[in-house]
Amino acid sequence: MKRLKHCKIYLAILLTIIALFLSGCWDSRELDKLSIVSGLGWDIEPDTGEVTLTYQSIIPGEIASSAGNGGGGGGQKGGEPLRTIQLDSDTGSSPYDVLSRYTQHGSRIPFYQHTQVYVFGWDGAEHGIYGFLDTQARNPVARPNVLMVVSEKKASDILGVQDGMESIQAVGMADIIKLSAAFSKYPAITLLEFQNRIMSKTTAPIAPVIGIFEETGVEGEKIKKIRINGTAVFKGDKMIGKLNERQSSGLLWAIDKVEKGYIDIPEASLEIVKAKSRMVPELRDGSIIITIEIDEESNLLEYKGHQDMNPDLISKMEKAQAEEIESQVKAAVQKSFSLNADVFGFGEAVHRKYKKEWKALEPKWDDIYPYLEVAVKVKTHVNEIGDVNKALMKD
Amino acid sequence: MITLVRLLKKKLRSGRGSKHNEQVKSDQDHSPVNLSGKLEDDLEIIRAVLGPSNDVVIREMKISSGPKVDAAVIFIDGLVDRDLLSDDILKPLMFNLQLIRDKAEENHSGLLDFVKSSVLTVGQIVAVNDIDRIISGVMSGNAAILAEGATQALVIDIKGWETRSIESPTNEISIRGPRDSFTETLRINTALLRRKIRDPHLTFEHIQIGQRSETDVVVAYIKGITADNIIEEIKQRLQQIDTDAILDAGYIEQFIEDGPTSFFPTVGNSERPDVVAARMLEGRAAILVDGSPMALTVPFIFIEAFQNPDDYYARPFFASLVRLIRFFGFMLSIYLPGVFVAFKAFNQELFPTPLLVTVAAARDGLPFPVAIEALLMLILFEILREAGLRMPRSLGQAVSIVGALVIGQAAVSAGLVGAPMVIVLAGTAIASFLVVPLADLGALYRLLMTIAAGFLGLFGIVIISLEILSHLAALRSLGVPYLSPAIPLNYAGLKDTLIRVPLWAMDYRPVFLDPVDKRRQAPDQMPRAWKSKHKKRKSQ
Repeated sequence: MKRLKHCKIYLAILLTIIALFLSGCWDSRELDKLSIVSGLGWDIEPDTGEVTLTYQSIIPGEIASSAGNGGGGGGQKGGEPLRTIQLDSDTGSSPYDVLSRYTQHGSRIPFYQHTQVYVFGWDGAEHGIYGFLDTQARNPVARPNVLMVVSEKKASDILGVQDGMESIQAVGMADIIKLSAAFSKYPAITLLEFQNRIMSKTTAPIAPVIGIFEETGVEGEKIKKIRINGTAVFKGDKMIGKLNERQSSGLLWAIDKVEKGYIDIPEASLEIVKAKSRMVPELRDGSIIITIEIDEESNLLEYKGHQDMNPDLISKMEKAQAEEIESQVKAAVQKSFSLNADVFGFGEAVHRKYKKEWKALEPKWDDIYPYLEVAVKVKTHVNEIGDVNKALMKD
Repeated sequence: MITLVRLLKKKLRSGRGSKHNEQVKSDQDHSPVNLSGKLEDDLEIIRAVLGPSNDVVIREMKISSGPKVDAAVIFIDGLVDRDLLSDDILKPLMFNLQLIRDKAEENHSGLLDFVKSSVLTVGQIVAVNDIDRIISGVMSGNAAILAEGATQALVIDIKGWETRSIESPTNEISIRGPRDSFTETLRINTALLRRKIRDPHLTFEHIQIGQRSETDVVVAYIKGITADNIIEEIKQRLQQIDTDAILDAGYIEQFIEDGPTSFFPTVGNSERPDVVAARMLEGRAAILVDGSPMALTVPFIFIEAFQNPDDYYARPFFASLVRLIRFFGFMLSIYLPGVFVAFKAFNQELFPTPLLVTVAAARDGLPFPVAIEALLMLILFEILREAGLRMPRSLGQAVSIVGALVIGQAAVSAGLVGAPMVIVLAGTAIASFLVVPLADLGALYRLLMTIAAGFLGLFGIVIISLEILSHLAALRSLGVPYLSPAIPLNYAGLKDTLIRVPLWAMDYRPVFLDPVDKRRQAPDQMPRAWKSKHKKRKSQ
């Protein structure tokens, strides 16, 4: 009896060990067999419809050596840029056709879980990016928080521009977008938000547009850098136009994405400290009126005149601010009317409030949209005027 | 030994050798072998039992000037105090020849009684007529006096062998606490406890264990605090031990513990009298073993491993922080290498991107898979630790130099091991010494976690963790759930777990130990700010 009990224990141990070894190191991937993809580019040849994927992969060893040398980040060292990233491109008829070609030259498996940005070339974005969105939606390991970017040129051009501060270019690009969103200049749109917008039948997806510009360095050499130049507007999966800087700000005001930032009026510069906006749709006599209510609070940073501060002056500045914000929003609305793309999500706002009527409105939203009435109501308040009450210099 | 005496008696008295089956038979015969009264015969038996060992001294003498009275003093050289022997036994016996002669003429058989009551100047003397008891008395350091015609022998307690003095604890260091620790001598250890707790309810119950070693074992507890069923259970378990020799308290531990197949200890130990006293005051019992400078305490529960005497001697705030750190360190020492392996080989997406890049950079070009790398380093560390422990002290420095160079520097610069792995290992190693009672099981579980992580990633770690948790939840020490007071939950008990509340807030002894006297102190003893009885004169 006792022996039998012992046998059972041994058998249990044996089975456990066998189970471990039979399953093996399933799903194990050693770090040095992975190529960490920091940015993924997507280009389409408009004539043939061929897809080109560009992988920007991190070369970890180079980053370690640059950090070890106190470099603090790639950039140039003795004129020779450090190779902290590597670009690989493949072309094929579909995304997975491209991926299958990767194995012809890649020694490591691409690892997408740390990808920072998806960059779409201008032509590719105009052609339509549905193929990409579908692969991402199906892929269980795809991260929904990757930032979406449209390139003014080809995606591969943008991903190759290694500028100074960041050792990994895609991380730098993501940081640029996040910073501009934090200062309420351009929207930062993740894959998830993009998907949400595209799944709502009326709302137009948006993404920041990044372009390349050249700067002359200290020694007269040309340095390529990237900057955000606008907001791309999609209709469905196809890009149809671009909002400029002012229109982008207006868009952010309307969709309640303003948190902090600066606002400039003729007599002063102010810092936004608090902002809130609301979209109120109203069906009246068959026409749709959308009221955008904006509450804003700001601090005075610079006063360009020479008067001492007084309540009249402050209320004047508040009024000017309100006008400025209103004009920004109006500019964005005008542009979206001319593109006939509902970047604000007016349709969804109407849907939320008028569920029954929406069924009739939805199919003909494209016809209705350019004729919406949009009213903007802005309330502003200047909180602080800084440490000086009197002007430093009188005229 | 009883068998041996009986056997020899038979052999000598019958003059014939005995056979094997007779020996078996005589095992069942429990009647004691008494002194015959003939000194020659009795000494012959005793000599035969004690054998030719040269530390056995049988001093024969005549203790009367008149009628010859032969006597013998038997003792073990080295176990008795020589001064006591000569001053208090030999001298009185030989200087009082006249006195003894008078008594011997009067009553020959009552001679030894007279010697016991009027001649010897030693504190503890027992009259014994059983040869077994005489011999075991001699073996434990007493002297025995046999006299011609007397059917009783005097066993005189003059124990006095070389002992280590009380030194400061070497393993359980305390900053503010007392600096005494147990020694190898049972009597000194009981005295140390008696000095901490003067309550006459402090009880030392004696049990002898070990057929050959005949080790003295004492169960110490405070009557009226420790639950009776705990004491009964301990005594029963101790009495059931039937073994050759008990050389250390560790032997006892392995015979009485509740979870013999568990990695977790269910019997506590301490070398500090203050710790043992504190545990007894909470309602535990202690087991002191002669020859061992460690006292065992039962029941032992998980959280005790994290309690340190300094936690109570220092003020509660820092003590609570240290408790948390200890707990964190214990977790770290078990999980860190495994989690690192899992993150590196399976779950790379869980690293923040900059950290992944750094780790990946260190990983580039290393020859072994990360799990093998981790196991190699862990085993190397255990080797170093063991070598450092066992190595003659004079060589210790060599080990640490080689260890630091090999593990720290050379392995990385030779490209065999990544630098992050060295940091992980170093952190683990230091953390593993935070909780000393669990340090050895930490090493085992660390290896298990790493292997599981190497095969299954975080999934494997979760499986092992669940195994540990369910095992701990089921484990008991003398009926007390191992995870008390967390499982089952007892709010009052939680006052002395991850945080340590001030002493004046701990009014009750731990409930899970089921103490007889539940209250430890009077309530509401929080010190209050001093207030003058005279009202302050208002200043103008």
